[in-house]
Amino acid sequence: MSLALSIGVLAAAGVFLVLQRGMIRIILGFVLLTHAVNLLIIAAGGVSRRDAPFFGGDTSQAADPLPQAFVLTAIVIAFAITVVLATFAVVGRRDDDTEAGNGSPQQSEVDGELDAQLDSEHDSEHDSEHESEGERR
Amino acid sequence: MTLTAILGGTLVVVALTMVATRFLGRNAGWLAAAGLGALAFAVALRVPEILEATGVVREAVPWIPSLDIALRLRLDGLSALFLIIVLGIGALVMAYSARYLSERNVHPHTGYFTWMLLFAFAMTGLVLADDLVLLFVFWELTTLSSFFLINRSGDRAGGPAVRTLLVTGFGGLALLFAVVLIVVRTGTTVVSEALVHEVWASDPGFTAGIAVLVALAAMTKSAQFPFHMWLPDAMVAPTPVSAYLHAAAMVKAGIYLMLLFSPALGGTIVWQSILISTGLLTAVMGAIFAMRRFDLKEIMAYSTVSQLGLIVAVIGIGTPAALATAALYTLAHALFKSSLFMIVGVIDIQAGTRDIRLLRGLWARMPVTFVTTLLAGLSMAGVFPLLGFISKEYLLGQTLEPGGPAWLGALLTAIAVIGAILTFAYTGRILLGAFSGYQGTQRVDEDLDTQRMPEEVKEASPAFIGSALLPSLLGLILGPAIVVLHPIMGAAGSAAAGEPYSASFALFGGLTIELALSVTIIALGTLAIVLRRPLDRILERRILPFTAIGVVEAVRTGAIALGTRMGNATRTDAPSSHLAAPWILIGVIAAAAIATAPSAGAVIQDAEPWTDALLLGLLLVTVLPAVITRQRFTALILVGGAGFVVALWFFALGAIDVGVTQLLVELLTVVALVLILRRLPAVFHSVTRARQALTAAIALGVGVAATAVTLAFTGRRDMSPVGQYFLDEVYVDTGGTNVVNTILVDYRALDTFGELTVIAVAGIVLMGILATRPMLPERTPDLKAWAGTALMRSVDNTLPIRVVARWAAPVIILLSFHLFWRGHYEVGGGFIAALVGATGFALAYLGAPTDRGAPVAWPYRGLLSAGIIVGVASGVGGYAVGSFLRPIRWDIPLPWGGEYAFTSALIFDVGVYLAVLAIIIAVINELGGVRERETKLSTEGVSEQRSKQESKGGVR
Amino acid sequence: MINIVELLLPLFVGAPLLLGGILFVVPRHHPLQLIMGMGSLLALLGGAIVLLILTFDGTILVHQIALWPGGISIPFVADSFSSLILVVAAIVSVISFHYMIASGEAQSPSIASLVLILAGGVAGALLTADLFNLFVFIEVMLLPSYGLLLFLSRRGDMAASRLYVTVNLLASTLFLAGVGLIYAVQGTVNLAALAGAGDDPATAIATAVCLGALAVKASVFPVHGWLARAYGSASPAVAALFSGLHTKVAVYVVYRISSVVFEGDGAWMTAIMVVAALTLAVGAFVALGESEIRPLMLFQMVSGIGFILIGVALFTPEGLTAGIVYMVHHMVVMASLLLIASAIEQTYGSGRLDRVAGLRTREPLLTAAFVISALSLAGLPPFSGFVAKYALVLASAGAGQILIAGLLIVVSLLSLMSLMRVWADMFNGKRHKDVELLAAEERIRQREGLFDGEVIDTDTAAAEAAHALERHGPPRGVLASGDPHDHRGTRIPLRLVIPALMLSGLSVGLGFGGEFLLQLAEHASSVLTDTSGYVGAVMGR
Repeated sequence: MSLALSIGVLAAAGVFLVLQRGMIRIILGFVLLTHAVNLLIIAAGGVSRRDAPFFGGDTSQAADPLPQAFVLTAIVIAFAITVVLATFAVVGRRDDDTEAGNGSPQQSEVDGELDAQLDSEHDSEHDSEHESEGERR
Repeated sequence: MTLTAILGGTLVVVALTMVATRFLGRNAGWLAAAGLGALAFAVALRVPEILEATGVVREAVPWIPSLDIALRLRLDGLSALFLIIVLGIGALVMAYSARYLSERNVHPHTGYFTWMLLFAFAMTGLVLADDLVLLFVFWELTTLSSFFLINRSGDRAGGPAVRTLLVTGFGGLALLFAVVLIVVRTGTTVVSEALVHEVWASDPGFTAGIAVLVALAAMTKSAQFPFHMWLPDAMVAPTPVSAYLHAAAMVKAGIYLMLLFSPALGGTIVWQSILISTGLLTAVMGAIFAMRRFDLKEIMAYSTVSQLGLIVAVIGIGTPAALATAALYTLAHALFKSSLFMIVGVIDIQAGTRDIRLLRGLWARMPVTFVTTLLAGLSMAGVFPLLGFISKEYLLGQTLEPGGPAWLGALLTAIAVIGAILTFAYTGRILLGAFSGYQGTQRVDEDLDTQRMPEEVKEASPAFIGSALLPSLLGLILGPAIVVLHPIMGAAGSAAAGEPYSASFALFGGLTIELALSVTIIALGTLAIVLRRPLDRILERRILPFTAIGVVEAVRTGAIALGTRMGNATRTDAPSSHLAAPWILIGVIAAAAIATAPSAGAVIQDAEPWTDALLLGLLLVTVLPAVITRQRFTALILVGGAGFVVALWFFALGAIDVGVTQLLVELLTVVALVLILRRLPAVFHSVTRARQALTAAIALGVGVAATAVTLAFTGRRDMSPVGQYFLDEVYVDTGGTNVVNTILVDYRALDTFGELTVIAVAGIVLMGILATRPMLPERTPDLKAWAGTALMRSVDNTLPIRVVARWAAPVIILLSFHLFWRGHYEVGGGFIAALVGATGFALAYLGAPTDRGAPVAWPYRGLLSAGIIVGVASGVGGYAVGSFLRPIRWDIPLPWGGEYAFTSALIFDVGVYLAVLAIIIAVINELGGVRERETKLSTEGVSEQRSKQESKGGVR
Repeated sequence: MINIVELLLPLFVGAPLLLGGILFVVPRHHPLQLIMGMGSLLALLGGAIVLLILTFDGTILVHQIALWPGGISIPFVADSFSSLILVVAAIVSVISFHYMIASGEAQSPSIASLVLILAGGVAGALLTADLFNLFVFIEVMLLPSYGLLLFLSRRGDMAASRLYVTVNLLASTLFLAGVGLIYAVQGTVNLAALAGAGDDPATAIATAVCLGALAVKASVFPVHGWLARAYGSASPAVAALFSGLHTKVAVYVVYRISSVVFEGDGAWMTAIMVVAALTLAVGAFVALGESEIRPLMLFQMVSGIGFILIGVALFTPEGLTAGIVYMVHHMVVMASLLLIASAIEQTYGSGRLDRVAGLRTREPLLTAAFVISALSLAGLPPFSGFVAKYALVLASAGAGQILIAGLLIVVSLLSLMSLMRVWADMFNGKRHKDVELLAAEERIRQREGLFDGEVIDTDTAAAEAAHALERHGPPRGVLASGDPHDHRGTRIPLRLVIPALMLSGLSVGLGFGGEFLLQLAEHASSVLTDTSGYVGAVMGR
């Protein structure tokens, strides 16, 4: 039960963050979502047997090793992708905002930087206008 | 000559002419004319075979047997008649083109001749086809060749060409639908078999549907209302094109289709009503439009529309006699209309214009042309003794007995007569307008092109006018000599009717109603010509509130606008909207789940330990704030915390390796993200309340679903057989005891291999991006306030970590190797070892006084690729014992007794180790911004500090 | 022979990955990059053809990797279906890479290795019969794609790239969750072991999650929007490559899972039918509304995905055959059209319908390629598109889905309309005044490797344009300016047209040789309608 709830909490939080603005939040969201899926896979092996799966001795209570192998692989893959995502967040014209301007090609590097600066100070005004620009184009 | 040979022959003519144009220029037309003429003659030679009742020639060459599509060809009376028209007129037009086209040889008329002859090929195939699919193929080929012929003629041609293609293409698709339905229902693609299938009688609904579809196809092709617009529109094409496609051949394809399907559809009420009504309506309307035009070519176009209307109507009546009449009328029309079109071209070339408001007095200057026009015109007007007269008389004869109530016959005849009168009238308009002073009424709204008719207009050369004169002469001869046409018309009629029928047309059939009608027509027609000026003034007024072209354009633009609006829904790069869409699908699946209420068996779970609840609590206190906070750094730390809780979960569930890996990965993830947070705003971007609520709702739904699915699906079965196998067999199979690790490097090494590739590529991508694109600038806080304190002296404030690092680093490295070696037996293995080793580097980085001091300048690109190479190499090595990635084992005796069971899986693990280690070093160096600073020194407050440090010799 | 090939199956993955790994450390401009790149792609194609020949008679090649017992190890399977798709995928890769070489894009750092690793991933995804392993190979396909997308993209901002990565990450995560659920219920992720498990509702739901994730990757309605945005920012050649590989692999897996797990179970196929119908209609409409050539083509591709899925949704032998035929045809023709778009964009500096015009008289070869591909896509004879579309419509009508058959036909008219827009605006008409300037700017950008955001000062551009005008004189006879046949100035270099020509030639061949294609597809579909052979082979029974 607690495990199921934990998975639910992680999934919900992950989805919420993924649907926000800005790469960092999206990345964090995916991190949580991945946790949820990994726990789900472990749970898929059954949680009634909880001994570490090692050969020798009594394995009657040993957990199913296969999901653990899956999760190990999945964790490392997720890490690799997170790294790429992180890189995507720090290059480009402005900050990690995913909804500003939708990268209209006219915008030059220079004012891109400027906007980035401005963003950091007065976020909200800037966002509102960018958002409207962002939705329709 | 076999039918296949005839069809192929047309292609040969195409090829020859294409080559010939290079040398002969426009004169290649003569060659093409000879070719088509020869083929027409070849067809004529085979006509006798088909004149006996049910005399049909068939041939078949397989094409796509799986779909029962074959090159099935059939020659019967109907196809013979149309074939002779297509090839004969084609030959004339080709000869005509040889004089019509410009002599300018800058670009020889290769394209023109190619498409014209390809069209001839397509028509030949169409009328010969005895395979429904083949029929459609050639049908679309005619559409395409006409499209390209129109499209290539001048800048203004683009619009009309596209409109023509869309309208006729629509018809073609209707035909395709019909074909598919017929093939499915009758189970054969052979036309002559499908059309006699019993389903036509047994299933009226089906028959009606097909009738509508076929009628649609034919009406678009034969320019029947409301699809008539494309024909006048297409007049931008050169005159020979119009003469061939838009008078003699292509528009007749629709007629042919209707005649072809008559055996199956003829007599059904839907078919009759559609054809008769649209046919007569089109006949009258087209004639009226013709009365309002000034461009001779446009008049011809509308006259064609109107004449075709009459043919369609008589096909609708559908008695054998009616169908034979339709065939006769088709021939007559092909003759006089092609002649008329060619004459328009002659006048256009000789007099420099074809506007009746400019032309005057040509009858004296161009007598031969005048006579030709007179013959063709009178035939069109239905004047004794020309062929047109007979066809019209018999047509009226058919409208008199359409079957059904008497008033119907009267009505139809009345309308037909009106059409005929108007025909007579606009024939007069053509003759007088072109050759005498008649101008029609000047319309103010129409801009009259400025060029006047040149003063000295000469008669066209015989070679030029000859090809126009020939068909009109034929019209004159065939009238009295109608008898020679009886056999072929009879054969055509019986083919179309599907029952034996012998035609008997007479030039003078005694004092019949038809004769009376003809007289009336001529009388009233003459009257209309006499009263032409008042009549013109009446007809000036617009008849329809809209133009057909306008309608088509409106449909087109409307569809485009709709598409744009649909596109706007997703026209954004913002991931949020695209990442929300998938949950719709998931929602649907969830709904399905609730509907089917799956049960994966009974729950087998003893009461969970209290620690589980504790873990859940820990998770909540880390995750919830992480979601709420707007501080980037706080969020990162909290999510990191959640990661550690998840690791604890893994430990609790007996996944030791997973837990360890999770811990280390979490640590490194946090490090990597901290590195980039330096370059980003301190707080998250704000979004609207409404959106917060919406996303929260979606998130909540997903959370509930996740919990529910976990409860419903997991923990309901005992250990899986696969898992049990691993637990039991692992030592025998691999000599390892750490089951998870053996799965990774022995049983499922391919997964691990793929994963190490992923890591390596991720590293490459990381480097590639940063090599081509600048990172955002660091947003260092204002440090003035701290000047002079230890905080500013990075040497001092990193002291503690450096102290730790100094003694920790070697320990960590050793630990890493230890973990690697024991991996197969105890907790550890390639990942974990590498991750541990990597944390050593992370520590070293954090401990370094400056970014430059930190990096371990290892060639991580090389390491990444080495990882892959080692992985594959050990995999290929496996072939030594039989398979890719098959581990090799041998026991190495150890000096202190016992032995170490070595397995090549360890070598594979080295690959993993290298890749993982390399990417982490890459992350620290690249995202740490080292390479960046090597290139350009930033000019921020702190960097002076830095440069000082470096001058003091930063550790490198 | 058979056994040896079976033994070598893993190398379809191993070899490209190894060479890719080696190329990482080969210097960027070293000839080896291109030689090894093209060489191993051709080798992959050759190998795939061998597989196709061996499996044509229904033989199923299986290799239990590392020789662990069936059901324990990861099985690699090649049957007539996977081999056919592998062949076409290899063809698309070869031609796209050829284009990259021609356009000089292959010179950018580590492009060759990324393409190789992508190809290796595709091979793995097509050959594996293990769902988790499939997940891994999907990732192996994705990571190089991120690189290709970004390295060759000249969009200054990251928006589209971020979109691409996040959407695919979400899809992968969902897929992984689905795999987990399947394991939870069935205790195995071996596809063959799951044969017919779709009858059990729980398994069906779990599998449906996987299909949902694949739907995201294949960009079907309602998740159709991201693809055009993301691929729109990539280099056109990359877009062609992806359209041939990524979405099609997703569709391939949908076919495979539907046949093995669901065995064409009615309810689920109906669901797929609905989604497919919506996808092909919406895609065609949106394409009609686009005003740039590449998004237009990309939405045509989305629509095409719908067409392909109709085939599996029908799940009659005819339907599956038609669907596979359509899939092959679509991979070829779409790549051709996208490469045509890319030749236009990279030469004239814009893909907007209202900026480039008059190509018909200027670029005869390109026009030929476009006409063939466009008509083929619209389903007009005598090209491959006609065979595919006719077979599909016939199959739908044969299965009693008259409405679907009608929809397919109506949508064909829509596609024809949108392609005619491209024809009317870009190929007809007089070329615009500023086109030379655009082209000049584009050339400068390519030379300097500038991003689209960076401004180029007008004098440089003007000079470049003038230079081009005198460099390419008129071909024959000096003509009055304004003559449509005035060919002075920028022309599309032949080397950029050849790839598209080859593909459209293939489309013609597959049209006249429709029987050949249908034969292949029939054999491919036979392993889908009767999965016993597949299952038996994989489980080692």
